[in-house]
Amino acid sequence: MKIRTLIVGAAACAMILPLAAAKAGSLENLERERAMLMQAMLSADLSPKERQSKVTLSRNRLIDLERMVLRDKKLVGHNTPAVRAAFENYDLTFLVHASVERDRALLDHWMRQVGVSTESLMNARIGRR
Amino acid sequence: MERLPILSPSKAALCALAAAWGLGLAGPALAATEAGPDWAPASSERLIKLPGSYLKKAVERDFAKSGLAQALQEAETAMRLKHQSLQDIQEAMERADGQVRVDLRHRFLAEKRAYLDLVTRQQQLRRKQALTKIKLYERLMRKLGFKRGAMTPQKVALVERQQAALRRLNASSMRVDTKLFRSSMGKESKYAVAYAANLAAIERLNAAITAHPMNDEANGEMAGMSKEDHLRGLVAAAEAELANLDQEAGILGLMAKLVSLDALALSDDVAGGTADGDEDGAPNQGLTKAVDLFVTR
Repeated sequence: MKIRTLIVGAAACAMILPLAAAKAGSLENLERERAMLMQAMLSADLSPKERQSKVTLSRNRLIDLERMVLRDKKLVGHNTPAVRAAFENYDLTFLVHASVERDRALLDHWMRQVGVSTESLMNARIGRR
Repeated sequence: MERLPILSPSKAALCALAAAWGLGLAGPALAATEAGPDWAPASSERLIKLPGSYLKKAVERDFAKSGLAQALQEAETAMRLKHQSLQDIQEAMERADGQVRVDLRHRFLAEKRAYLDLVTRQQQLRRKQALTKIKLYERLMRKLGFKRGAMTPQKVALVERQQAALRRLNASSMRVDTKLFRSSMGKESKYAVAYAANLAAIERLNAAITAHPMNDEANGEMAGMSKEDHLRGLVAAAEAELANLDQEAGILGLMAKLVSLDALALSDDVAGGTADGDEDGAPNQGLTKAVDLFVTR
């Protein structure tokens, strides 16, 4: 009985989840893709070739997604914490466009936005807390 | 032409006087208490969303379907016909002589009185239309103000940031395309291609709309006007219509006074056995044009 309930539940979830994903707004899609890009850039498990391939794919998708978010009329004045946070920092949300605009590599641009620069890394000391 | 039964001169004069007094006194009271045909436009969300230039047309279309518009049209038709019959009687008077002329003068006075009744009615309807328009536009302005007021400072700041972000994107998107697509082997995405095609189509359609002769926004008068400005202009136009109506009511009063004086003159003439013979003029349509009919006897 328990197994049957679990199977039915899993089937229902399988049916509902794609619908939920399909209803995700442009901003949620952008956030998800950006997270995947960052994961690809920072993952230590990937070979340079794999990383390059994943970053290129995500970057090209992000270009479209960033434009979709900025042109999305549903988001204009949509005063939710997620939308407010997204537009509070253009350089971090619209990473690809901002990095090209500032003539920096994607990772370099992102690191600067989160407060890590080459100088700060060079000046860092290894120590114990 | 149909002959009226001949009244005694004193009776005719009294009738005309009574009519003139009645019109002068009852006019404003009637205007204030008129119920009759109605027009009740709703200040709907659709009207608020319409561009300024289309708002007026939508309101006029709504009015055209109302009972008030129908009554106004009927009143104007009746006025036009009455004006025509006044002209006919005046022409007949020029050719007539003796008792027939006296009869025609009497008939002319009665028709003038009827014409004044019709003008009063038409003015009441026009006043009602103008007042309803003012109320509607003021309601729309209040709603619009409420909508603007609903923008909290936080929301205003968000919209400003979104606009700034869009400007920044537009400034950098060409550079992104050049750097990331054209310099490499990558090609533009399906979205980018479809977006560019759609944008080109939208621009062509917008150009056609701007150039369309029926597009009011194309004329310079509407350019740069906000919706509130446009609504305020419409309220001012309706107020101007009310001011004109007040002035026309004054003209109507003077016409009624002239009818009473004509009745007195007719009474004197008939009693003295002479008839005044100066009835020329070329009346036209409209209240000011009808003045010619009243300044002649």
